Amino acid sequence: MSVLALSLGLGGCLANQPQPLAGLNRQLQSLGDSNKSPSLNGRWLALITSRSNRTVIDLVDLETGRLMPLPGLNRPDALPLAVSVDGSGTRLAVIRQLEGRTELLIHRPDQARSEPLTIAPAGVPQQVALSADGRTLAVQVSRLGRWQIDLISLP
Amino acid sequence: MSQAGENRLDPALSGDGRFLASLLDQDGKTTVVLQERQSGRLLPLAHLQGNQPHGSPSLSWNGRYLALTVQQGDRRLAVLEDRATGELHPMPLPGGVEVQRVSLSPEATRLAMEVNQGGQNRVLVFDLSQRFEPDPPPGQAVRGGGLP
Repeated sequence: MSVLALSLGLGGCLANQPQPLAGLNRQLQSLGDSNKSPSLNGRWLALITSRSNRTVIDLVDLETGRLMPLPGLNRPDALPLAVSVDGSGTRLAVIRQLEGRTELLIHRPDQARSEPLTIAPAGVPQQVALSADGRTLAVQVSRLGRWQIDLISLP
Repeated sequence: MSQAGENRLDPALSGDGRFLASLLDQDGKTTVVLQERQSGRLLPLAHLQGNQPHGSPSLSWNGRYLALTVQQGDRRLAVLEDRATGELHPMPLPGGVEVQRVSLSPEATRLAMEVNQGGQNRVLVFDLSQRFEPDPPPGQAVRGGGLP
């Protein structure tokens, strides 16, 4: 793949750009001062939002535009670093800093419950991805000075 | 899925978990690689042998589409590789807006981009449904196909 080929491709597609979902994008902007780390899955968009001097995880239902409640997840003493949602919106994989540690957890909004996942051998999680079917979790882990990817099967 | 001594980052799974895309950091280059999980076999990505560093891979349900960020000169661009047709589709943004991360919906009907504009990070969602064939879950009925 050359830079030239990509340039030609870009020029050829300018007239056929993907269409921004203007209403949704205005709504996302109104969530807070900034947002990042989108995870799109089916009708769900999970993302990390900074508002009112706090950083929180938001879950948006793209069909209704509603911000879904996430009871028990957004603790004031925690800093979310990464999030991924499955296709049914019933599982969120989250990496956050809490009490000086970086932890990986699965949050189930419908049960208002978070379950920490142990990383073995020990390592520090940095990035996470759930499969749409919610059965597999891929985690980027810092271990012995290198980045590795762990795959975890979920029940 | 990591080999000893290598750096693997930023994983993404296809909808059914069959394929894993990730970034391989090697010899100062960060390159996206696509693997079939069960066999570990690396799959070819026709258009993605340049424009490093690659970033933020994201896969559709059956791994037909791979969205990611690539470098072109001093700009980061979002692109979508269609493995079925072998085409690479740039996702252009207005000038002054720089993509940071992307997330493709499993059906490939929407693309979310984290962008930086004027020092502020925002998430924007784009509709792809008029531009690309969907990549639905196995067993899901698709429109068209002629008479029943």
